[in-house]
This record gives sequence, structure tokens and C-alpha cells, in this order.
Amino acid sequence: MRAANRGDQRAYARLLGAITPVVRGIVRARGGTLGAEGCEDVVQEVLLTIHLKRQTWHEDAPLRPWLYAVTRHKVVDAFRARGQRIHLPVEDFVDVLAAPEAADPFEAQDMARVIDRLEPRAAEIVRAIGIGGESAAETGARLGMSEGAVRVALHRALRSLAQLRERMIE
Amino acid sequence: MKTDALIAALATDVRPQAGLGARLQRGLPPAVALSALALLLVWSLRADLLAALSSPALVKTLAPAALGLSALGLARGLSAPLPRAGVPALLVGALGLTALAAVLWGVATGGLGALTMHAEKPTLLTCIVSIPLLSALPLAAILWAMRQGAPASPLAAGAAGGLAAGSLGAMVYSFHCPEDAVLFFIPAYGTMILVMTALGALLGARLLRW
Repeated sequence: MRAANRGDQRAYARLLGAITPVVRGIVRARGGTLGAEGCEDVVQEVLLTIHLKRQTWHEDAPLRPWLYAVTRHKVVDAFRARGQRIHLPVEDFVDVLAAPEAADPFEAQDMARVIDRLEPRAAEIVRAIGIGGESAAETGARLGMSEGAVRVALHRALRSLAQLRERMIE
Repeated sequence: MKTDALIAALATDVRPQAGLGARLQRGLPPAVALSALALLLVWSLRADLLAALSSPALVKTLAPAALGLSALGLARGLSAPLPRAGVPALLVGALGLTALAAVLWGVATGGLGALTMHAEKPTLLTCIVSIPLLSALPLAAILWAMRQGAPASPLAAGAAGGLAAGSLGAMVYSFHCPEDAVLFFIPAYGTMILVMTALGALLGARLLRW
């Protein structure tokens, strides 16, 4: 995280990759009723929050307690927001429904829906870098923007994602 | 969207963000300066300001300033998922208790009559209206900065922000306020600072959620 706050992309990607299973474990332990996809929505929400609030971690403090505190806060929040939604476990309908295609357990729907609500260019940048695996420089070259401008736009897009999400869920 | 794709997008965005402290440094000094300018233009300085600033009445400016700075420290400490605000909380508590003790001592020696005598002064109304007005900009600047934080309790963090804003507003107002009696300014300033604290808590609960 320290390296990430200094701008080291690879270290940050490794850190997020290492955090994700831990967060997923906490979310699944709390939210069995949401189903795998619903849980993954919450996991992605937690990751986005960790990203946007990473400055509130003090570098002289251990990372783990901070991580747990953020995760707990967002998980409570997410389940409260979804409290009214009724979720019927699919197992009850197994006999009635044809078996669905085996879904990817790490695929979630909410984030894609929120990205659709971004401005077209912002959505394009998030998709190109996230799903397309492009670097900021490649995306910039394709869209005729400087790498710096892509990074600024990406940062704004991620912040509006968090805000849009909040509004859509409530 | 797959979680791995999200991670790839997040990891690309490693530009350093302006934290709470940076925003506070950027927003709060201009906000306090604008409040001071408004005081200068609309309220005017008290005529005997220089004499007052070299007399014990200086406490009227210094005490709110100290409370404001301590409360800012408290607001910063409470703006994290794991709050740590021991020292500023102690400072705020000590200043509050000292003020309370000073009022009690004043009532004990001068009687309740002294307190009600001050409550009937027309300047009280000016004070009650002015402090929230002069605190408004600092409060906006503080809450704007605090939105960078992630408070475990948005209500408590907002209250600390309101306390800081109210104290800074009172500090600015003290340059106009002609009343130097302890039994006037502590109850009057204190009440309005508490009103701003409550307002900060209400706004914080809404604006500082994350």
C-alpha cells in the first residue's frame, strides 16, 4: 500500500489482488443469502471504497485493521441498502428451471450497469483499462488524449462510479 | 464486470490524491480570511481593539482560537475508519471544562444576578446572530475537506467539524465584540459554538457518509 501511495501500479495491483479473497471471504460469510453474484457486487463495492479512501490509512499504522474496518463499514452499508430486496435462493427452483449456464463466480452485474450510466468517454476509459487491459498510454493514444489526461479522467470516473452506485442502490 | 477487470482499472489510478489535510490547508485559511473581511466591512472592528488586545480580554480571542485548533485536530482524528483522536479530545475537554469552571466561579462570586444582567444586553442578539454567520464559510471549508475522509461515525466527525467552525467564527467575532465580561462572553460564545456543533453533526451525518 505504501508503494501504491507512491504511484507504483504493479505493487498496487498485487495488493488489491491479495486483498480481494479476504474481502470476498468476509462478504460471503455475512451475505450467504445474496448469492455468489450479489456477494461479488458487494466485493467490488468494497474494493472501490478501499481505493477511493486509501489516503485515510496512516502509513505508520498496520494495514490489516484499517482494511477490516473499511470492509466492515461497507459490508454493513451494502446489506442495509439491499435489506428490502427479496432474494430467492435458486436452489428452490432447480426442479422447475432448466440448469443455467455455470456462471463465473467472479462476475458481477451492478458495476457494469453503473458504468453504462457514466459519460460515454469516461465509460470507454474504464472499460478499456479494466476489461480491455489497456494501459493509460495506449488508451490515450487511441482516444487522442495525453496519458495524464486519461489518468485524470479515470480517477474522476471511478469517483463518479462510487457516487452513482450509492444513488442507484438507494 | 469481473472483479479482476475492476482491479486493473483501480490499479491504473495511482495518482496521489489530495487528502483531508491538503484540502484543509487550501480551503480553511481563505474561508477564515473572508469571514474576517466580512467582519471588517459589515460589523467593523471594536474601537478600542488595540487596548483590548493588550488586556486580559485577549482571552476572548485566544480561547476560541485554541478550541478551534484542537477541534480541527479532533475532526481529523475522527475522519478515519479507525479513529484516533486522544490528544485533541483531551484538549477540547480541558478547554470546555475550564470555560465551565470560569462561569461557575463567576456565578459563585457575583451571583446569578450578574449572569442575567449580561443576558439583557442588546449586544447579546448581535452576538447570537453573528457567530453562526461568521462560522458558515469555515464550516463549509471544513466539511469540504472532511469529505476526503472516511469517518467511522459521520455524526461525531461532523460535530467536531462544527465545533471547530463555531470556535473560529467566535474568534473572528471577538474582534468586534465590545463585551469583555467573562459571564457574557463564555455563555454567549459557548452556546453559539454548541449550536454550530449540532449543525455540524446534522450536516456531517448526511455529507460525510461514505
